[in-house]
Amino acid sequence: MTLGSRRGRLWSTALVLLILGFVIAGCSGDDPPQAQAQRQTAAPAQQQEEAQPAAAQPDQQEQAQPEDTAEQQQSEPEQQSQPSEPSEPEQQDEASSEEPAQQEDEQSQEQQASAPAEQADDSGAAVRSLEGVPGIVDPSNSGWPREVEGSNGMIRIAAKPMRIITVSIGHDEITLALVSSERLIAVGAVSKDATYSNVADLVQDKQETTRDPEEIIALEPDIVVTSPFVPIEVVDALERVGITVVQTGLQHDLQAQINTILLMGYIYGEEARAAEFADELQARYDALLAVTSDKQPKPSILSTARYSDTIWVAGSNSTQGELIVAAGGVNAAESAGVDGNQTSSLEGLIAMAPEIIIIPQPLAFGAEDFRQSLLDNEVLAEVPAIRDGQVHIVDSKHYTTLSFWNLLGAESLARMLWPDDFPEPPEPSFSLPE
Amino acid sequence: MIAAVQALRDIRQRSVSVRLAIGLSILSALALALGLISLSLGPVDIPVSQIASMALAGVGLDGAEFGRTEQLVIEQIRLPRIVVGAIVGMALGVAGAAMQGLFRNPMADPGIIGVSAGGALGAVAAIASGLAGLFFLALPLIAFSGAIAAALLVYGIAAVGGRFSMATLLLAGVAVNAFLGAVVSAIIILQPNNEALREILFWLAGGLDARSWEHARIAGPLIAASAAVLLLLSRDLNLLMLGDDEAHSLGVRVRATRVAMLIAASLATGAAVAVSGTIAFVGLVVPHTLRLLLGPDNRVLIPLSALGGAVFIVLADMVARTLIQPAEFRVGILTAFVGAPFFILLLIRNKRQVYSL
Repeated sequence: MTLGSRRGRLWSTALVLLILGFVIAGCSGDDPPQAQAQRQTAAPAQQQEEAQPAAAQPDQQEQAQPEDTAEQQQSEPEQQSQPSEPSEPEQQDEASSEEPAQQEDEQSQEQQASAPAEQADDSGAAVRSLEGVPGIVDPSNSGWPREVEGSNGMIRIAAKPMRIITVSIGHDEITLALVSSERLIAVGAVSKDATYSNVADLVQDKQETTRDPEEIIALEPDIVVTSPFVPIEVVDALERVGITVVQTGLQHDLQAQINTILLMGYIYGEEARAAEFADELQARYDALLAVTSDKQPKPSILSTARYSDTIWVAGSNSTQGELIVAAGGVNAAESAGVDGNQTSSLEGLIAMAPEIIIIPQPLAFGAEDFRQSLLDNEVLAEVPAIRDGQVHIVDSKHYTTLSFWNLLGAESLARMLWPDDFPEPPEPSFSLPE
Repeated sequence: MIAAVQALRDIRQRSVSVRLAIGLSILSALALALGLISLSLGPVDIPVSQIASMALAGVGLDGAEFGRTEQLVIEQIRLPRIVVGAIVGMALGVAGAAMQGLFRNPMADPGIIGVSAGGALGAVAAIASGLAGLFFLALPLIAFSGAIAAALLVYGIAAVGGRFSMATLLLAGVAVNAFLGAVVSAIIILQPNNEALREILFWLAGGLDARSWEHARIAGPLIAASAAVLLLLSRDLNLLMLGDDEAHSLGVRVRATRVAMLIAASLATGAAVAVSGTIAFVGLVVPHTLRLLLGPDNRVLIPLSALGGAVFIVLADMVARTLIQPAEFRVGILTAFVGAPFFILLLIRNKRQVYSL
């Protein structure tokens, strides 16, 4: 054996040992991916003590939201985007992904199927039961630790989380309705952008963060409650340093959103506030449906937007479609067989023949140009909505977010459709916790 | 099937004029039939009889009654879209054939010298900066400028030091493609605006929705002129494929011919990208398929690639807009979906011929 071949063999042996060492180290180290589904995260040291759920602070203050009539929406400088289409880099709004929206809708249907009943509390007042709320493992456990089932598995929450991050605009909107503003310690840029966010004015002073685990860890949150579309690597990195992460879906179904609110209230230790808020939403929703569900004839409404030269329409299983139906209309795109948010064409608009067209697109991104181009297009002259001048720009951020703010979109649309039944503009905001 | 394969083998043995005549006849008939079918299909139900009546009315003859809306749908929506699709397909097909010949590489496509990437960068920058909204044709014009600027950059790099070589051109194209792709990625990643992101992603996916006669007017003449140049130089391209010395000795002005063909192919591709976005695979799969079927003679390949590209895009667009109507698919996605498996199948079945190209 030559010196060279002996040296080569030694190198080979060393390399094999090195690889073996890495393999062994890998096996004995952190959780394998398979274990993630059932992981239980440790709570930060400062929260090891059990805490009782905080009582709700019924004092409510209204947000300074602009009036939301269709006419006023047309003059609003900034409006929100249409959801759907391909996923976008650094997109923090889960509302802008069509496939996710459909998946979430499936969840919403499950959640709707198990809508919680009401029960009496100690004082005799009717409060919502948490029984049957998807994600709450033991509704009778009002202490800490408590367990919830997120889309990232079974999660143990050791103590009432005081420092919350969501990096999801829909979750931010819901969180701010449930907990005092100080507990939401940072938000993504989208939540601060009034074009997309319904809570932009409430979070302007908050620290801005991204989904970069390092940034989130540096903020020392107790919990991160976010959408299932945050990459598993990010979730894993956060959990490795002891941050509790709960991934929950959001729904465009107004009724199903109430279950999400109850679940998030339970996660934050704010069950009473969540129940109170759920009642508020339920009351507004019921009041809306009481008028709109029996209305006849229901107008055919198309929700459409144009990005570049591409025309989008919202069919079944879309937020806009849900709002159209809740407002007492018939979704023209759904009637034509469109599922979700899809691209279409001018010819498609002719075939759908809507009586009313709504454009949930920001003015800054061509909503008025699009509206005018529809009205001016000779090809569309015989479409009922064009013929009758029924083409309206609506406040897009009410139509595309995945939170209870969708209800405001439905109420505004209902007022546009049935002005005699809704003589007053809808309440432009919702109650806030103390 | 065996008879068909035998027939194709027979065609490959025929003279250029016979192959050209057969190919032109088949593809012209196919293009005409597809055009008519495509005209009659869409979310608005318009019977073929009404379309025929419109055509008759156009030449002053009477036919069946048709409505104003139907007429406008045909005249202002379907027909310009089909025409733009055909023009784009023609440009990509003819440019692909020329590039494959010039580089003597069947894997070359119209974007090999950075034209598509330049067009993409122009469009993406225009959308991200808001310039795209300045006026109706701002986006295609800026995209076209980007395409031509990229091509000039690649030519400039390849001609540095006064020595122009195809190998340097290819490598410069690869480098510029990568660089421009990185700039596009950077713009996308740094773009804070969701709406702009959406526009960018859809432009990059390629499509023919809302194409109008204006798009046909700006792209058509340029593409027609470029295709004519490539067609005229197809014989010289055959000689260039023998090698520069052989071509020179046979009377070809090597450098002038090559530069003229590169410019023509770049202009055609740039114009196509400007009005349709980046539509993948057409410039690669159409000439390659025709080469496998009819042989490598560019006098046959270039004109038939123009027709073949037009047929391919019109067909893909017809499927894209009728598959899930009244919703639509992106034609760029469909061309890759259909083109790639078909191309792979063709490669597997014709391995021996591919090796000989």
